[in-house]
Amino acid sequence: MPQKKRSKDLNFLEKIYLPEIFNGLMLTLKNMFRPNVTMQYPEQKFIPPASYRGRPVLVKENDDTERCVACGLCSRVCPALAIEVQPDETALEKERFPKLFEINMLRCIFCGFCEEVCPEEAIVMSKDYELVYTNREDAIYGKDKLLVPVEELSDRLEFLRNFK
Amino acid sequence: MPKLIIDGKEIEFENGQTIIEVAKKDGLEIPHFCWHPSLSISGNCRVCLVEVEKMPKLVIACSTIAADGMVVNTQSEKTLNARNAVMEFLLINHPLDCPICDEAGECKLQDYAYKHSAGESRFVETKNHKDKRIQLGPRIMFDQERCISCSRCIRFSDEIAKENQLTFVQRGDHVTIRTFPGEEFDNPYTLNTVDICPVGALTSNDFRFQTRVWELSSTESICVGCSRGCNTEVWVRDNEIKRLTPRENFDVNSYWMCDHGRVNTWKNVNADTRIDGCLKDGEKISWEDAIKSVSDGLTQYQPEEILFIGSAFASNEDNFLFKKLAEKKGVHEVYFASAIKPGDADDILIQEDKTPNSLGASKIGLTGSNDNKSLSKKISDGKYKAAFILEDDLTRLEEDVIKSLQNIEFLIVQATNENQLTKEANLVLAASTFAEKHATYTNFLGMVQRVKPAVTSANMDRALDSMSKSRWDKFATTFDRWGRGKKYDSKPGWSILSGILNEMGEEKNYQMAEDVFDELAKEISDFNGMNYDTIGSGGALLKSFTKQEAETV
Amino acid sequence: MDIWSIVIETSIKIFVVVNVLLLTVSYSVYFERKISAWAQNRIGPNRVGWLGLLQPFADVFKLLLKEDIVPDKSNKAIHALAPFLALFVAFSTYAVIPIGPEMTLFGYTFSLVVADVGIGILYVLAMTSLGVYAITFAGWSSGSKYSLLGGIRSAAQMISYEVSMGFSIAGVIMFSESLNMNVIVQSQAGWMWNAILQPIGFITFVVAAFAETNRMPFDLPEAEPELVGGYHTEYSSMKFAGFFLAEYANMAIASALIVTLYLGGWQNPLVDIFGITGITATLMQIGAFLVKVLALLFFFIWVRWSLPRFRYDQLMDLGWKVMFPLSLINIVWVAALIMIFNL
Repeated sequence: MPQKKRSKDLNFLEKIYLPEIFNGLMLTLKNMFRPNVTMQYPEQKFIPPASYRGRPVLVKENDDTERCVACGLCSRVCPALAIEVQPDETALEKERFPKLFEINMLRCIFCGFCEEVCPEEAIVMSKDYELVYTNREDAIYGKDKLLVPVEELSDRLEFLRNFK
Repeated sequence: MPKLIIDGKEIEFENGQTIIEVAKKDGLEIPHFCWHPSLSISGNCRVCLVEVEKMPKLVIACSTIAADGMVVNTQSEKTLNARNAVMEFLLINHPLDCPICDEAGECKLQDYAYKHSAGESRFVETKNHKDKRIQLGPRIMFDQERCISCSRCIRFSDEIAKENQLTFVQRGDHVTIRTFPGEEFDNPYTLNTVDICPVGALTSNDFRFQTRVWELSSTESICVGCSRGCNTEVWVRDNEIKRLTPRENFDVNSYWMCDHGRVNTWKNVNADTRIDGCLKDGEKISWEDAIKSVSDGLTQYQPEEILFIGSAFASNEDNFLFKKLAEKKGVHEVYFASAIKPGDADDILIQEDKTPNSLGASKIGLTGSNDNKSLSKKISDGKYKAAFILEDDLTRLEEDVIKSLQNIEFLIVQATNENQLTKEANLVLAASTFAEKHATYTNFLGMVQRVKPAVTSANMDRALDSMSKSRWDKFATTFDRWGRGKKYDSKPGWSILSGILNEMGEEKNYQMAEDVFDELAKEISDFNGMNYDTIGSGGALLKSFTKQEAETV
Repeated sequence: MDIWSIVIETSIKIFVVVNVLLLTVSYSVYFERKISAWAQNRIGPNRVGWLGLLQPFADVFKLLLKEDIVPDKSNKAIHALAPFLALFVAFSTYAVIPIGPEMTLFGYTFSLVVADVGIGILYVLAMTSLGVYAITFAGWSSGSKYSLLGGIRSAAQMISYEVSMGFSIAGVIMFSESLNMNVIVQSQAGWMWNAILQPIGFITFVVAAFAETNRMPFDLPEAEPELVGGYHTEYSSMKFAGFFLAEYANMAIASALIVTLYLGGWQNPLVDIFGITGITATLMQIGAFLVKVLALLFFFIWVRWSLPRFRYDQLMDLGWKVMFPLSLINIVWVAALIMIFNL
């Protein structure tokens, strides 16, 4: 029985390799003259697009209060159990605010579930990817590090409104 | 027996039962907001509408008396449509502020919105806004917007608390609940309305905004506030008790408990006054040293010079071993002080006797009386040189007890929290509270009831001691801040006492509270045949007592 | 000429050749990294010195400071010998490569080859074949299965490709009628380059050269994904650097050989066209040789970053079933050329 011809079967020119090798060489040669994509990182910083999921941050309103109402959904949905919220009562109209809001950045996996589940758009993924700490305690971010003014997050909030 | 058919299943029932009761008995839940098994039927939420064959319209299951041969359909299209419509109406003016609502997670409206509603609102108009923070009583906050007017709280205050303090005012979508002007919703049972409120309209000031209910672990326990011993659930997060809720037990407390028990009886567990490790003359010492000092100290006195005072606040096991310890020293009379507040009682739950275990203490053979005067006299008459006092702040008896204690050269106090007595004591043994140990208490009805550990002390581990765990407890590592909580260096009373007994030469080694109770059940006739399994979560009755239903049911 | 002047002359030549070779080798490492970066739209080393030009020295410095780890179960003596053998073979081959014609400087005439021996090409074949010992020794003495596999592969591969290499060279010798490297270069005067006259031989020789130097796509003895580095898995510090240097030195030698045998050696067509003579012509010819070698080095690196590695059976297939017959055909072709054109 004659063997069935497969699309993989090579023709004569392909079988003698040389033209194909030449094609391959030309491809790499062409690439040598293309512009580089490497960034000189510490000097040159990558500014991510709005869809980027950097470290999660809390939205700080213009009146310096947090948007968060400490509902605890982010904490519940977090697959890595990175978030701890301790609610308390406030005299503001929203009644409830996070007395304590801690994200353990060693546990965080940047999945963005917290952002997705948040009913208030209070926790969003920022563009910040530079996370450095030298011990485990420093990796636990409290409200002081998490609260970011709302203007700085306008990109992401707009992205969420359009695509979430 | 008459029979009816619910969803194609034939069920027997007793005459007079409503459809919802019949269904419930068979394990089928017909959705309901306003119906509660121990409250009267009001039938105003309409969510329990079911289709009954040959009836022209849907009927409410909660107030329709079951009849022989009835064919009920709880899942027909007509029923489901009606249910969905009722849910839609109820949600029209509900603020849907679940993120800030403390009921979220255990909210009937939330659950039913998932189960029985289309999940979409066609209501585009502005919702009705009302006051969100109304202090209805000293312990209770009312959110008018969230209320779905089921009238459970009104019926509770009428029928169970018998105080007629709440009522509906206004009509239509302005309807709300309030007390008479100038009056407060302040009966001793108000917080039960928080439990039965199907939404988050009524919240407890004590628990409001404390935590999410799904972050808590719950442990079966009992209230130690009075000799009723209401069955409870202890809710813990980060090793701290966050709240107590009643657990149904028709022999003791039905569905309810009093506000005092719910709010005050557990506050000492995580208080700053907790004794953290044993103290000798105010200095911290190790457990070995403490137990050795007790044993060495007591050998220096004659039996007639030593006073042993047990406690009605301590468990059966503790008092039992305490009695053994006294007998080992040749002392045969062990006293305990009662704590009776005359007049502070009602015919619902609250008892005058404010100790959880006075019946148990006397059954074990401790001497107590309603008159504590003789006991204070005994302490102060100078005959005794040494005293061992178990988990009871005796300074509550009389002001000059403290003065008379100065006659006593060697005072051992086993206590959970700092008090006047521990300040005077030569030796303080750090005892675990009711929430940190396995133990039994005997209530005034003769029910022996168990408590289980809900909070860990220093030498305990949630996993190894098979305690209930919240999600945090389950997954916390030593590097996480959450889930840790404060652990106090304390031991259950029986464990301390058995350590002292062993030090004094007693051979019997008790490994756990159950060992102590098994011996107690062998030796004390009223407890014969009992063990932790037969007591279970519902309690077991002393032999000489007959069963009586709690009066409230 | 007395013996001392020969000794001094040869010493100077050796000094110059070794230094030039070492520099070439270090910078071919640098360019290997640069060219791979360019081919992948990256930048490559650019932190040490201007454009990263000091990178080779940093690398050497790093390797010098590294701990020399010798496996417990290795044969210590052979383990230590192998990298030196590799280096020795690589460098000594260069003795017979002519980098230019005879040169007269300060009235003193000398040939631009360290040792102008009559059997140059046999010497080259012999030395390059010795290289396989270094690799086999390294693989065997390390006491590691990966190293041993690498060594065995290397031996098999080198022996297979040596055959077609030898037959290809036969074609060259048939034209030049001499084994002397200088004569071979001179026989390619004008545009009579062997690469043009016998393209099949040229291709088989280049492919065999790739295989002999263990370069992609024939770097099976090292094959990082399969053999974790092959024969030098167990080498570290300067011993590893020895193999590393030897590999690049071999590459330079293979390039020089290809240039000498097939691309006219130091022949510069411009010299003949414009009739340039004297020292300028000589310098231009040396320049031509260097340019050709560097171009071939670039080609070596370029191929490495373009082609994937062959499978071992494919390599053997290619060696015995394709390269060997092709080199035989080349001999017939050359013989026919000689017969017909009476060259």
